[in-house]
Amino acid sequence: MEYLRDINEAKIEKRMELRRKFSRLMLIIPVVILALLILSAIFAPLLAPYSPTEIAMTERLQPPSFLKGGSPKHFLGTDSLGRDVFSRIIYGARISLSFSLIVIFITGTVGTILGIISGYFGGRLDSFIMRFTDVALSIPAILIAIILAVGLGPSFKTIVIASSILGWSGYARVIRGEAMRLREVDFVAQARIIGSSRMRIMIKHIFPNVINPLIIIATMMVGLMIIIEATLSYLGAGIPPPNPSWGAMVNDGRNYLETAWWISFFPGFCIGLVVLSCNYLGDWIRDKLDPRLRRL
Amino acid sequence: MSKIVLEVEGLRTSFFTRKGIVKAVDGVSFFVREKETLGIVGESGCGKTVTGMSIMRLLPEPGGKIVGGRITLNGTSLLELSKREMRNIRGCMVSMILQDPMTSLNPVYTIGDQIAESVRMHQNLADEKMITNEVVSSLRLLQIPSPETLLKNYPFQLSGGMRQRVVGAIAMCCKPSLLIADEPTTALDATIQAQYIALFKDIQAKTDVAIIFITHDFGVIADMCHRVAVMYAGKIVESASTSEIFKKPQHPYTRALINSVPRLDRKDDRLYSIEGQPPSLMHLPPGCRFCERCSDSLEICSKEEPPEKNIGNNHTVSCWRVQ
Repeated sequence: MEYLRDINEAKIEKRMELRRKFSRLMLIIPVVILALLILSAIFAPLLAPYSPTEIAMTERLQPPSFLKGGSPKHFLGTDSLGRDVFSRIIYGARISLSFSLIVIFITGTVGTILGIISGYFGGRLDSFIMRFTDVALSIPAILIAIILAVGLGPSFKTIVIASSILGWSGYARVIRGEAMRLREVDFVAQARIIGSSRMRIMIKHIFPNVINPLIIIATMMVGLMIIIEATLSYLGAGIPPPNPSWGAMVNDGRNYLETAWWISFFPGFCIGLVVLSCNYLGDWIRDKLDPRLRRL
Repeated sequence: MSKIVLEVEGLRTSFFTRKGIVKAVDGVSFFVREKETLGIVGESGCGKTVTGMSIMRLLPEPGGKIVGGRITLNGTSLLELSKREMRNIRGCMVSMILQDPMTSLNPVYTIGDQIAESVRMHQNLADEKMITNEVVSSLRLLQIPSPETLLKNYPFQLSGGMRQRVVGAIAMCCKPSLLIADEPTTALDATIQAQYIALFKDIQAKTDVAIIFITHDFGVIADMCHRVAVMYAGKIVESASTSEIFKKPQHPYTRALINSVPRLDRKDDRLYSIEGQPPSLMHLPPGCRFCERCSDSLEICSKEEPPEKNIGNNHTVSCWRVQ
């Protein structure tokens, strides 16, 4: 029996080692991808070979340089107006990424504040805030965005407002649940025993303990926000042309999908990459922050 | 006689629920002197903890309310203070230790930070060094070995007994004149429990703090307390000095409780237990609250509430049997 157990332990050890290596790899890949995209967004003017809005009708619909008939001047080809797709993707990263970061910051802040207040105070205030949250959750963001785009005209500001106006509700729900759980934990009672005010308890004792779920939701939201921006731009309610954004680029290439698929494909590919990377990163952070999983 | 630190007179605390009013504490009076430990003993739900929470004015909201009585701490009437004034008293003049050391420390702060929080709130110390000194001396008071290194530790790095000492250090760091300990040893194992009790006797000798020790364990009472108040269904049924109550318990409930403590010097097959359950605090019987479970009740017991009688030596009992 002893002998058998030894073999099993070695096997398990090996498998765990493999799993550890794999999970490290799964972390490095998304981090590198995101870092590259963020850096290229920051240093866009240095990296992009052309201006993203420069029209060259003579060079329109050229395939990427690595395909047959592609010109070496345009790495990822050109779109229907002869604009360089590669340059537009680099500049588009600025809008797509900054949009999601801004919206996540706004919605995360509002959602967390409302969630903590709602969960900690409970009672009538809680019901009041939660009914608002339910309403916000039930309205599709796209609808609001289209209405706002019609009212205010499509712009960066419009889609930020449109996404933020409802986006906080997801955070509020989760954070409220956490806060409700935390206020019954003894260390909150302990804080009251030493004379802390409610405000102090919410900021010093509840908030640091809801940071974990907050980070997890936020990383999950990055992907969602890019998709929302893409959807809105695709519907014409987002970033107005000629400014490049990934979603708008996918939309531009729609009519040429059969002949010049690269116009839509590459920005779409970037969206996919960011969403996947953020989700993996979010998963990883969640596992790292969970004390039960931390020791594995 | 040393001076009275806390005096509670006719305290009544109720919970207003949808189903009705729960009279958790119904007319409780007691006092504690400097350097004295008062034990409040009784079974679960008899109002021990609610009494402690009422003194702190930290009843669960919404629902919990103090509906009557007076609480005087060092000459200040606590029930007349505003919320802000009460906050200044909490943690400073009166402090409390909770039952479970595993959950009463915030997992995201270091031990040093958690004790310093109370020091910062209540003492006007401008200098970080002075605050650290206070924290360290408070940890010393609780006999924590090498307090300087412990300051940077997080709660999860400590054992249960050590955490409960840290909780004690938080409670004692502003030198309160009254400490309410709500079953502080229940979550600890027996050896650590004995150490913790010895520790509190030592602290009391050094600081003159008055202690209210809430427990359901008569064994702990015998070790720790000078006087005892036995609570049943929201009332104090008997109170006397510890030696008196062990020698001459008068109330049948007190006798039953003392009999339920396991003893090494007697060979019993089974532990003694009290039949039945305490009455619902929402629908209290008109007579004595213990009547239904009492082995020798009289006819009057179920009709009229027994008055409190002083049988000498500051020994008070509420029972019709006692003449």
